[in-house]
Amino acid sequence: MIFVPVYLVFVPILAAMIIFLFQKPKMAYLALVAQGVVTVLAVWYFLTFRDDYSQTFFTFGGWNNLIGIGFRNDAISISFLFLSIFIWWMVLIYTFNAKKDTRNFLFFLLFLEGVFFGLIQTNDLFNMFVFIELTTILVSILVAYEKAGDSFRAAIYYLLLNTAGVLAFLLGIILLYYSFGNININQITTMIASSDLSETTTVRFAYVLLMSGIAVKSAMFPLFTWLPRAHAVAKSGVSALLSGIVVKGGLYLFIRISLMFAAAPYDTSMFFFAIGATTAIVGVMFAMTQKDIKQILAYHTVSQIGIMMMGLSSTDSLTFSGGLLHLYNHALFKSLLFLGAGIIVNVYKTKNIKYIRGVFRAMPLLSILMIVGMLSISGSPLFNGFISKSVIKYGLTDAQYWLLQIVNLGTATSFLKMSQIFFGPRTLSYPLVRKREYLPVALLAVACLTMGVLHVPIADFVLDVDLAKFKPISLQYVFEYGLMLGAGFLLYKYVIDKDYKPVQWIRNFRISFETANYMFLLYFTVMIGVFVVYPML
Amino acid sequence: MVKQALLLVLLGGIFAVFYLVTEDLSELYNNFGKTYFQLNGLLETGSRNLVTAIYLDYRLFDSFFEAGILLVAVAGIIWISKHDLNEKNAQFMLDRYKTPDLFITFSRIVYPMMLVFGFYVIINGHLSPGGGFQGGAIVATAILILYYIDHDRETNIKQIVTIEKLVFFLIVLVASLSLLTRGEFFTNFMPLDSSVASKAIYLVILNILIGFKVALGLWTIFTAFLREGR
Repeated sequence: MIFVPVYLVFVPILAAMIIFLFQKPKMAYLALVAQGVVTVLAVWYFLTFRDDYSQTFFTFGGWNNLIGIGFRNDAISISFLFLSIFIWWMVLIYTFNAKKDTRNFLFFLLFLEGVFFGLIQTNDLFNMFVFIELTTILVSILVAYEKAGDSFRAAIYYLLLNTAGVLAFLLGIILLYYSFGNININQITTMIASSDLSETTTVRFAYVLLMSGIAVKSAMFPLFTWLPRAHAVAKSGVSALLSGIVVKGGLYLFIRISLMFAAAPYDTSMFFFAIGATTAIVGVMFAMTQKDIKQILAYHTVSQIGIMMMGLSSTDSLTFSGGLLHLYNHALFKSLLFLGAGIIVNVYKTKNIKYIRGVFRAMPLLSILMIVGMLSISGSPLFNGFISKSVIKYGLTDAQYWLLQIVNLGTATSFLKMSQIFFGPRTLSYPLVRKREYLPVALLAVACLTMGVLHVPIADFVLDVDLAKFKPISLQYVFEYGLMLGAGFLLYKYVIDKDYKPVQWIRNFRISFETANYMFLLYFTVMIGVFVVYPML
Repeated sequence: MVKQALLLVLLGGIFAVFYLVTEDLSELYNNFGKTYFQLNGLLETGSRNLVTAIYLDYRLFDSFFEAGILLVAVAGIIWISKHDLNEKNAQFMLDRYKTPDLFITFSRIVYPMMLVFGFYVIINGHLSPGGGFQGGAIVATAILILYYIDHDRETNIKQIVTIEKLVFFLIVLVASLSLLTRGEFFTNFMPLDSSVASKAIYLVILNILIGFKVALGLWTIFTAFLREGR
């Protein structure tokens, strides 16, 4: 029973290899079987341990837990686990095709799933590094899967920039091992709480190294440049997976490392709030100006990550769980939007929203589902995005509150712009859409609504926080949302739609790989200044 | 010019802080891990080479995924390098008229030695420096030299990839045998109190399998690259 995490890691990986070895298209069904097994195991595991997560710790080989590799689960990792299983189901159903030879794709997809489960559950820093490295390689292969020039460039960009970040992470681990004598996360947490080791320059420097590595992985400002490239050129299913859950792997590391250093006297919340707010505003600025439907969604991932960071950087536990909740909600509605956009792009053969018109008349059901996703992401009452944004807002000061409102305004504007695709006359008579692709989109829309209305029992069940004071709907909220939409419409009509020079400039602004590396060094130096040099003065 | 100057300033600053960090390293040093391995490494794992003790026993779970990185990289390179797996008999770009005869002759002498050295490093991984990963790389290099000796070699990549995956299965299987014998995941299947010599059986088996897997993986990678360069 206690070894279920091991099966969770190896079942998808072994299934991936069997699918790869047997060259029958029918073997693709094995992927569904493996996914079913994983789901059953995870539910069983959760029901057994939900009362007492402290029993979940075990060490491979039964060695001393400071020497061997340990696995451990808690409320956060279990909820991440279920979220990733759900998103993987959706992507698997969406891309499933037993007639074509998809075994290469399934191999990478399922391998990534096993590795991601390992990343979530591990309690060992070096093991974490190995999983991050493997995730990086797998994601760059998945991005390059289409084998077009764009996707190659994006994949190499992603691979190189993330490898630089991962190396910084490794250096940090080495310094921590040097000063703590082990790399068990639990043990380091207690050692930081009980000694003043965390005030030495070495450990501060290690913290900076770890955090700057994570900043690349989780696409914080100014290191988010790989994200829109990679997520916009990948296949739609892969984009949904990357934006929905894999990029959250970086934020998961952020949560883990922050909790590890929770007892250290570092003043982190100001710095990371500022980073989060900048990421959100810059991301939404880029998103407003884009014309490519997948680019818009990818830049929104950046801005939503900023909002999550606003919540996660807080030391207040309610705001923190708001950030966590927003992370889960974002996974749901962003995968919904990416999968829906994938269907639209397939039918219309273009990604430019200027040339896509009349979607509502051609595909009414899909349009309704997409509108659910748009309402969720822009924070409409009754939908899930609204709840998590309200929880985050609740813990903010006035100035911070208005920063978040600016981001919301930008989100509303760019989705008003995107909603133009629904209007207009029907241009396609009979769009060829496979019914199988509708199923995950519909399920995700249902999940968005459920999380929006039943947030109180769900948050209580999974994260053990009480959200009873956040109502899903009231007259005031509807009025505020309407006001936001009105302002967004004005902004869209009189600024974005006119396509002024600055708008064009932002749209065509690309950051080269060289500049991205300068940014990385700059970010690193700023972090050194804040966390190492400033406390010494 | 401004960029270069900025780069110099940034790197200089980072280096200065790094220098500050090294100042108090000697006071900070926590040698818990080092002393643990020195005292218990040989008795607990049966390996004189403590590196092998760590990667084949204490932290075997990491080694799977280190091998997994190679596995995934091989599959990725083959997929991306566009050639169909079924394409047999790769013709290589190695041009026999451009390769000096001296080099070919020496390759013939060196090839068996490299192969034997590679196997030596793999099999003695638990006694002397080396092990599956390093020995596998040496064996793969020896196979690469083979292409210089015999230009018209046929390589069936598909077979190699299949065998590589099967060997990965075997590694996981051998490592999980301990679940049956000792009730623990991923460690030596011999009981903890058995002799050093009997524990070495497991180490040798696993080293050979890992060496095999690494050699096959590297072989596939450079075959794919040779085809690409054609």
